[in-house]
Amino acid sequence: MDTAAEYLFEYLRDVLYDPARANMDLTRLPEGFKELGQGLEFFAGCVSETRTFAKFLAKGELNCPLPSHDNEMAAPLKALHATLKHLTWQTQQVAKGDYHQHVDYLGEFAAAFNTMTKQLEQRHVALAREIELSRQKTRALEQSNDLFETVTRDSEQWIAVVERDTGELLFCNYPVTQILAAEDFLPQLKRRMSAEMTETDSGMSSRSVEIELTENGIVQYFTALIRPITWREKPSVVFVLSDVSEARAHIRELENTAYRDTLTRQYNRHFGMRLLDRWTAEKRSFMLCFVDIDNLKYVNDKFGHNEGDRYILSVTAVLRGFSPDITICRLGGDEFMLLAEGWDEDRANAHLEALRARLLKRNEDPDSRYFHSMSYGVVAVPGDNTLSPSELLAKADEKMYKYKRDHKLERTSLADTTDPGK
Amino acid sequence: MANIFARSAGAHNQFKWENLGDIREGRGDLGEEMPVLVYRLMQYTMLDILTKEYGTEAADRHFRDSGYLAGTEFAKHNLKLDGDFSEFLENLQATLKNLKIGILRMEEFDSETGNIVLTVGQDLDCSGLPVTNETVCTYDEGFISGILEAFTGEKYDVREVDCWANGDRVCRFNGKTRRA
Repeated sequence: MDTAAEYLFEYLRDVLYDPARANMDLTRLPEGFKELGQGLEFFAGCVSETRTFAKFLAKGELNCPLPSHDNEMAAPLKALHATLKHLTWQTQQVAKGDYHQHVDYLGEFAAAFNTMTKQLEQRHVALAREIELSRQKTRALEQSNDLFETVTRDSEQWIAVVERDTGELLFCNYPVTQILAAEDFLPQLKRRMSAEMTETDSGMSSRSVEIELTENGIVQYFTALIRPITWREKPSVVFVLSDVSEARAHIRELENTAYRDTLTRQYNRHFGMRLLDRWTAEKRSFMLCFVDIDNLKYVNDKFGHNEGDRYILSVTAVLRGFSPDITICRLGGDEFMLLAEGWDEDRANAHLEALRARLLKRNEDPDSRYFHSMSYGVVAVPGDNTLSPSELLAKADEKMYKYKRDHKLERTSLADTTDPGK
Repeated sequence: MANIFARSAGAHNQFKWENLGDIREGRGDLGEEMPVLVYRLMQYTMLDILTKEYGTEAADRHFRDSGYLAGTEFAKHNLKLDGDFSEFLENLQATLKNLKIGILRMEEFDSETGNIVLTVGQDLDCSGLPVTNETVCTYDEGFISGILEAFTGEKYDVREVDCWANGDRVCRFNGKTRRA
């Protein structure tokens, strides 16, 4: 080194470009340069401190040692450090959901940051509103679902939703799950649902049909409300089945009380006359028979009403052999009316005669205490009949009496062999 | 003759917020603002006299106590104190900025201890002062502790750890609660 100036120049270059090499040996400086050397040494310290501080900042290590208070050169970096510390804190608050953070006086960064927090807040508010709406919807849905489940679970009705195209059961309530476990019902139910689905158009409103299902030989009756719906985006049909078997049984019981004769369990006069009225009004072609039990008064008087009842029942049993399609009505006492379609007069007379013969056969029993017999009159009613129901009945009655008169002798001769009452 | 209508606002050496007066009316032409220079002129001349009279420590204590009284009254009359901490801070930052007191920036807040680290940039007291290797914002220490106490209900011991006058480009304050 030639001069102090050159020494200091080299030192200054090392401070800036090769700090590790920079070394100030004040003893090598002449007296007039020593203060300058001390100044440069302090300057080198400031540069080194500032450089170290800047490196910490560059790496984002904000909890680093700060430059000394004497280091004026590092002051702007300290301000930057303070700003970064503040921004770190603000960002942490934003991360926690505090969108009120606002940056002032940091140019484009402040504008960008403030826009970001504003947008985040708007999104947060929108999202919170959406979440609240969703919560309300969910709550409403849960309540509806709960209500639906409660209603369907406790319902005695069978509720099933079937996909139209595949026949797949999309929903069924508890009673249906029980039914599905019953092997007898399942194929019948599926068959019937399938048939009803083909009858149900998607545009159709609800309709109601009656369904019969048999389990273990017992018939159960249902009314089915059928309605096309779109469920889970699938065209489907909802079935709501109500078991009306008990109601049917009750109606049947009422009908029995109203329309049946308590002794013979055959239809009574009320039912018979209504049916006769209806068939006449509908201009049907049918056969009307008037049957009278012979000697019933004698049996009642001689042997009591219990025996008379037994006599009536035995005649009823004979009449039931006429045909399964015939309607037998007990008009009262010893009189019966038979109504049937598809019989001509001769055939009916022949058939009744055969039945009468079967009744007379009972008289051959040695234990028989009275004579069993009946008389009858048959009237064929054509479709163009002009007589009233009572006129038709009177005509049949008249024929019956003629028959009774014509066969009186026969009865008398046959009766002679047994009881005088015969 | 005595004026029975006369009302006294009390003495002006007994601070009352109302006694700050109606500045807008009183300074109809000059307005409510003035240069920071005037504020500092009053502050540092007062500090000079107090220090000479009572010593540095006592003068600083009086300045800090004055700041505390100012902070308490300022918070009571200018800040919303019924929200959560985030709202309070947002309001405080905006108010300090609007009144040109300084730019308050939070650095740390420990919700468990209540301890706080914040900076005030471009403040009235010291920004731009020559470096004298000392912290000078004792008034602000009291001012900040008064504000924090008004919001939290807790006593705060606030000390300035970095100051413009100490060669730092920002004034940094550490606030500690008694529970901490």
